Amino acid sequence: MKLAAAVVLGVSLIAAPVVRAQVLEIATDQSPVGLDPHVATSFATQLITSTVYEGLTAIDSALRVVPALAQSWKVSEDGKTYRFMLREGAMFHNGRAVTTADVIASVARVRDPKTGSPYASRFTSVTSVVADGNDVVVTLDQPSAPFLSQLASLVIVPPEAVGELARRPVGTGAFKFHEWVPDTYISLDANAAYWEKGLPHLTGLKFNIVPEAATRQLGLQSGTYRMVPSLDAATATALAGSTKVKVAATQDLAYSLIGLNVSKAPFDKPGVREAVNFAVDRAQLVQAAYFGRAVPGGPLSPALADWALPVSDFPCYKPDPAQSKKLLTSAGLTLPVKVTLNVLGSLQQVVDVAQVVQAQMNKAGFEVTLNVQEQGKFIQDWRGGNFEAFASLNGGGIDPDDYFGRTFATGGATNVYKFSLPALDQALVDGRSASEVGRKMLYEEVQRDLACNGPVVHLAYGTLFTAVRADVQGFTPNPTRSLRGLREVSISP
Amino acid sequence: MGHTGVLNALTRRLGELSVVAFGVSVLSFLMIRLIPGDAVQIMLGANAEVTPAQIAALRAKLGLDQPMVLQYGDWAWRALHGDLGTSVWTGRPVLEEILPRVGVTAELTLLSLAVAAVLAVPLGCLMATARRRSADYTIRLLSIVGLTLPSFWLGTMLLYGVAALAPDAQLLGWVPFGEDPLGNLQRIILPVIALALPVLASLSRVMRASMVEVMRQDYIRTARSKGLSEGSVVGVHALRNAVLPFMTSFGIMAGYLFGGSVVVEQVFALPGLGRLMLGAIAERNYPLVQASILLATLSFVVINALVDVLYAVVDPRISRA
Repeated sequence: MKLAAAVVLGVSLIAAPVVRAQVLEIATDQSPVGLDPHVATSFATQLITSTVYEGLTAIDSALRVVPALAQSWKVSEDGKTYRFMLREGAMFHNGRAVTTADVIASVARVRDPKTGSPYASRFTSVTSVVADGNDVVVTLDQPSAPFLSQLASLVIVPPEAVGELARRPVGTGAFKFHEWVPDTYISLDANAAYWEKGLPHLTGLKFNIVPEAATRQLGLQSGTYRMVPSLDAATATALAGSTKVKVAATQDLAYSLIGLNVSKAPFDKPGVREAVNFAVDRAQLVQAAYFGRAVPGGPLSPALADWALPVSDFPCYKPDPAQSKKLLTSAGLTLPVKVTLNVLGSLQQVVDVAQVVQAQMNKAGFEVTLNVQEQGKFIQDWRGGNFEAFASLNGGGIDPDDYFGRTFATGGATNVYKFSLPALDQALVDGRSASEVGRKMLYEEVQRDLACNGPVVHLAYGTLFTAVRADVQGFTPNPTRSLRGLREVSISP
Repeated sequence: MGHTGVLNALTRRLGELSVVAFGVSVLSFLMIRLIPGDAVQIMLGANAEVTPAQIAALRAKLGLDQPMVLQYGDWAWRALHGDLGTSVWTGRPVLEEILPRVGVTAELTLLSLAVAAVLAVPLGCLMATARRRSADYTIRLLSIVGLTLPSFWLGTMLLYGVAALAPDAQLLGWVPFGEDPLGNLQRIILPVIALALPVLASLSRVMRASMVEVMRQDYIRTARSKGLSEGSVVGVHALRNAVLPFMTSFGIMAGYLFGGSVVVEQVFALPGLGRLMLGAIAERNYPLVQASILLATLSFVVINALVDVLYAVVDPRISRA
């Protein structure tokens, strides 16, 4: 009898589900600077806020627009009216249900000049946002192709919490804020009231701030950390042989670039900009600075397969130092042409790229001086247009109109190059109301205009590497760097 | 020297302290603001789509739109009333951010100093007694290597070494001593090596020099002529006198140790004071930078003042000079 009881007890102990604290320890390189999702747009902040907040829509790992806080939506025939059916059962982390009023208030907050949101420029075409029962109806003054994908960045916040959002995030996501110890860690707890039943599987996330790449790598190998998002190519290669670690790779939307100031000599001349393109050998750059794990790219990411032209369509992408020199001479310049290149020093990948480009340009009639800058100084010079040329990493958009509009259109929000091409401005306006086929043709024209003579020498689209321990299940990397997918991740016992 | 002497020295030191405090507060205030790029730029990151008007709105929110003199006056007035401000990013009083970090840095620096000092004495003696022989040359060469190796490089190499030799060892992260003493010591081994090695190199050379000096003295010859063993001559008679200048150089090491801990904490991701300061500078968290620099400087001045006063008590010749 006793024996039987012991056996039964033993079996039931084995069969009982193992309840463990499953906190995913993540090692990330930079501390977030403010957590207000409408204002703080640096990579470091978005990594964390992407697990706490949700918009009406979300972008999945295949770059499709999927429902999030909106259960579904309908678009009117003329493409100007969007009706969003709000998801039932969605709650803020403070325990209050999400209402249409919260959606309206969040849109208003992003558009309010006093908020200073970088996303404001994406929603200038919105003329009205009204509630209709459990629906939110948004009206635009003109059709907007990227509107649904842009909405993913407009996350819904509770108006009663906005005063403290930079410090204490309150969202609707699968994880809720627990604690922030500056330059040490940010911890999040699972949101037990998450609208998608059964998710998340983890009991929490801990974002450890670990500035040194070697420390992140060793921590992953020893099991101190279970995930390292955004690995550099060198570390990813070093970890590839390990049996305890899986490296997930996806095409990065972000691209390395040389930006040229077209309001100053020598890059005010299109021929000089074309010369840089001939000077650069992108295939060699990919080998030398990315260990082969990148693809040369034009003005649109190859990840946008439906839109991007193959780089073979751009004649200036064939490396030709002699042609570069010829262009410089015919622009009336004496060789070598002296250029200072500002380099975003906080990203090792960018510094590596800049060094290779410097060597290549120096063989093609330029004399490049690298000016590796601290992040704050770089951003200040970048925004102020205080540069001849710079090397950086830009986050690309998933919609051509959005990306071209803010980057290259006359007066665009991130057109720091002071570039202006009336034909391009017109093509973007026409594209918004054109058919799918018409849009494609217009954007092909834009890409050809930009590739060789534009203000940006697009270099390469790298690979976004994320390393996880072998026991981490269900992780799919997202090219936008969002970690929203962590809601589906679990740790196998 | 009586009580009045000590009291005078203390009063003079306090006066100097307030001058230093004022100077440091002005300097740290100016320096962090003169670095290009402010909190708003860092928050937005590279490539954010904002207009100058939006940036101005965000600056006003953080109080960065006031003239610098006003900002300083406001800060100094509050600081004199014991309010050092609140951290820009977390909104907590800066003292609440700083105090929990002191223990980590104190443990790291004191352990490193202890390890270095304990090893430096025998090494220094060995070098002095084996003067101009291969043991002396080998250790001296190693000490030069130790002096010139930067801590960040040494730390990174230690990490790669451990990754290759013992990838499963739990040597990273931070566990408070009170929670898990063994885990705490285990995780501080690598940082202590990285921080202690240059100190050890320097202290052992000091030890060697003072030992060589002492070994020339008459009383050592006397001790030898009495027929004492070499170990007893060095270990008992010479060491006692040679160790005095060695103790003095401890004070100088305090400055180095704190500077080094900034680097080592960064490499090993330890939640210490140096890490907090470096992060605050990178994020342009002005109140936190000012408060932590001010407190760090003041504690140095206080330590040095205490040491001076102690000297005056111990050695009357110093106060007469």
